[in-house]
Amino acid sequence: MSAATDALAAALAAEHAAIFGYGVVGARLTGAATGQAREAESAHRARRDKLVVQLTKAGTTPPAAQPAYALPFPVGDAAGAQKLAVQLEERTAAIWRTALGPTTGGDRKLALDALIDCAQRAARWRRATGQEPGTVPLP
Amino acid sequence: MPVRMGQGRSRRAVLGGLAGTVAGAALAGCWPNSDKPKPPPSPHPLTSALGGTQALIDRYQATIAGYPDLAERLQPLLADHRAHLDALRKAMGLPAPSASPSTPAASGAADQDGAVAALKAAEQSGQTEAVTACLAASAQYAPLLGSIAACRATHVEVLSA
Repeated sequence: MSAATDALAAALAAEHAAIFGYGVVGARLTGAATGQAREAESAHRARRDKLVVQLTKAGTTPPAAQPAYALPFPVGDAAGAQKLAVQLEERTAAIWRTALGPTTGGDRKLALDALIDCAQRAARWRRATGQEPGTVPLP
Repeated sequence: MPVRMGQGRSRRAVLGGLAGTVAGAALAGCWPNSDKPKPPPSPHPLTSALGGTQALIDRYQATIAGYPDLAERLQPLLADHRAHLDALRKAMGLPAPSASPSTPAASGAADQDGAVAALKAAEQSGQTEAVTACLAASAQYAPLLGSIAACRATHVEVLSA
């Protein structure tokens, strides 16, 4: 596998983990935050599907999702769920940022769009937990 | 005659187009080593990003100077841009900038809402510039430029609220 394909495979593994994480997040939220979580989860699912197609076309076997993922901390309520959502987006953003180096052309565009999307969602979740403006310099 | 003129023009156009590259290189190759003109130093690939970041910083400072009520809202965003400036200078191997007390130019906006709208527009252009730079960058600089683009995208959302 090329370095670019490796990077996309790592991004797919991160997207699988984020989708699992949003299952936990969504179950603990109510009201508008539920919609925010649902929308984020569908963005991660869309990227996962795209990556599976792309990696398969490139002649590699896309990494499959694990049956379960260890959470960074126990999530018992809405506040914990929002905190987890921030981490899910931050971690996925970091993987996509790493993918910018080895990729070029359309693959790098995919990675950059994903990084921007994850950074925006992380900032929105930080604002949802009361942090204003919720931005970080180098997402 | 018109045919000859047309050919002449077309040959000149071709030579003109090559002058900076092939023809220039061939001429340089003919000269003795001692007379070989030094090529102008090519700018660092991050020079443009550094300039754009400084322009955003200047714009924020001018806006805060003109509308002190916005300071609390804008300072965290300005801090992000200063962090970009530091990261870019570090990547370029430049020393940290000496804290020069800059005198911000007055913001051109007519009122506070107009000033925020102007900043939002500047962040949007800055995001586009950083995206273009990231897509064209070498593997070494693409992650930094991508992070700067993503940060500016989050600023656009904050300024839209």
